[in-house]
Amino acid sequence: MSTATIPDPSGTTEATARTRAALTGADGARRRKDRTMTVLIWSAFVVAMAPLVSLIWTVLSNGAARISMDFLSLSMRNIFGGDPSGGIYHAIVGTLIITALATVISVPVGLLAAIYLVEYGKGVLARAVTFFVDVMTGIPSIVAGLFAVSLFTLFLGPGVRMGVIGAVALSVLMIPVVVRSCEEMLKLVPNELREASYALGVPKWLTIVKVVLRTSVAGLTTGILLAVARVIGETAPLLVTVGVTDSINFDPFEGRMMTLPVFAYRQYSQGQATCPGGESATCVADIAIQNAWGAALVLIVLVLALNLIGRLVNRWFSPKLR
Amino acid sequence: MERDVKLSRFTRAGSAVAVGALALTLAACGSDPAAPGAESTGGPAEGSDSALSGELSGGGASSQESAQEAWRAGFQTANPDVTVNYDPVGSGGGRTGFTDGSYAFAGSDAALDEEEMTAAEAQCGEGGVIEFPGYVSPIAVAFNLPGVESLNLKPEVIANIFSGKITTWNDEAIAADNPDAELPDSAITVVHRSDDSGTTENFQAYLHEAAPDAWEHEPEGVWPIEGQESAQGTSGVVSAAQSGEGTITYADASQISGLGTVAVGVGDEFVPYSAEAAAEVVAQSPRAEGTADGVYSIELKRDVAGTYPVVLVSYLLACGTYADQAQADLVKGYMSYLVSEEGQKAAADAAGSAPLSADIRDAVLPSIEAITAG
Repeated sequence: MSTATIPDPSGTTEATARTRAALTGADGARRRKDRTMTVLIWSAFVVAMAPLVSLIWTVLSNGAARISMDFLSLSMRNIFGGDPSGGIYHAIVGTLIITALATVISVPVGLLAAIYLVEYGKGVLARAVTFFVDVMTGIPSIVAGLFAVSLFTLFLGPGVRMGVIGAVALSVLMIPVVVRSCEEMLKLVPNELREASYALGVPKWLTIVKVVLRTSVAGLTTGILLAVARVIGETAPLLVTVGVTDSINFDPFEGRMMTLPVFAYRQYSQGQATCPGGESATCVADIAIQNAWGAALVLIVLVLALNLIGRLVNRWFSPKLR
Repeated sequence: MERDVKLSRFTRAGSAVAVGALALTLAACGSDPAAPGAESTGGPAEGSDSALSGELSGGGASSQESAQEAWRAGFQTANPDVTVNYDPVGSGGGRTGFTDGSYAFAGSDAALDEEEMTAAEAQCGEGGVIEFPGYVSPIAVAFNLPGVESLNLKPEVIANIFSGKITTWNDEAIAADNPDAELPDSAITVVHRSDDSGTTENFQAYLHEAAPDAWEHEPEGVWPIEGQESAQGTSGVVSAAQSGEGTITYADASQISGLGTVAVGVGDEFVPYSAEAAAEVVAQSPRAEGTADGVYSIELKRDVAGTYPVVLVSYLLACGTYADQAQADLVKGYMSYLVSEEGQKAAADAAGSAPLSADIRDAVLPSIEAITAG
């Protein structure tokens, strides 16, 4: 405290000292409470951060060594055993295409459902929609995958694997998250803005498009990105719907695709490779494990990049108030 | 309300850079790796095979995974427009997928039983089912005893060790067949697979047949005895055995580096494991009778002198006819490559498997050559 060093009339110093004494000295119990709570809150923060930091550190330290231009730009086609020359390009492509397709399916559905719930919905139907969205949030991911498989098996016969089936499975998981988060964001828009718009004679639909959505665009993007982050790491539904492959496939409507989580899982379960002539530049015994760590790292970076892009989109589109 | 022009311009530029960078990384230079050496050409000799294209998907036993990877690499190198996929979902999943038509071909650690065969025949149509033991791998009985590299053990002794009746290394039953080995009086630690595995099932099938009195458990994928040390997967049991002294385990023979191995008693002699001796047991075993032409399932004879009887026999399943001409050509090409000497050598190098005998190859090739669309 700087009060002690400032020279000023004696009465004020005395009064200040008394006040300080009253504040700091008198009630020891309150101070102890204050200290305890501070320590508690800080340690809760540290406990919450510890897994995150540990996770990022583990993935970084294990995966960083594997990252190289070849690893990012080659597929695993014709690579087997301990051969370290393969890469995850096919999995990156698959993850991006399938997630983008799932987003294209679920964002219109989810956003429109949220608008209905906030702006139009009343009575039994709105309550039913809310209830079923809540139920959908709790669906285990493998059930979503099996739903998509059985849906497409009805039309295309058994054994069909393609990217779009995975996208449908992911959107089953994604739609409820989009609906819930968008609903909350739309509710946050002050009613005065809507009323002002109506007072100027703007129709309801235009009010929603120009005022409500425009005001909440930052929250909506964040919600959608959270939903994307929720599904981009899914393994089980993609394993049953999209299958596995070693080759690059750009077409989500034809043939199997690889995705990063499935790739990491598959590589991890392969375990050690056998190197008949001992370890060398062309045969690394634990290459599959290294590949799995590398893929995990790329997946984390991908989610991070998506979040950054979301932030930029936010700043770009949301209205600025001076 | 007014847009913050400065910030907006800055972020606009930032976004453009970020999006551009992302697009670049996506579009740039992604490709399949170059062919890894030209030594494997794959496919039967005639050059017409390179005309093949399309996607072929199968699945099944995970024991075949390494071999399937080698086969796929060889076949895809010879036919650059072809993509072959193999889902290592386990034998049961492979058989189910094959009989309901999800998989064009499948791998299975056991031959189809009658019910499955009926279902598979219904799925395959008039061409019938093709089934043959395409992947044979010796299972080694491996132990970790300092100074001892090889032991001679009779089937009954192996069964008694693994069931826990023989508990120390200097037991008379072990010492009797190994007069030269210096056996410590330490305890024997049995390490088994904790997961459901074809290796466990085939190892138990051997014990059950070769020493029926000492091993009463019905062969199945899960280890029947509780209270022993266990580990996940082949690499798991091997590293568990390597890290403890006085351990004994069973594992795929290609993966047991650093451990001593058991020469298994067959009749009056002891045979150490080798891919050749394992191939021999399959070659010597008679073909099961009363099956269709394309089905070559074997009844393992585990008592032929000079052969190594502890083997994992894994079958490949395909149809004689496919609805689609392209699919039929792909399966035909892939299966012919897989049984060819070259294909079997690729699997032997990658997975340590025992190459298929010429007799079996000659017996199954005609059915494979006859695969058509119908």
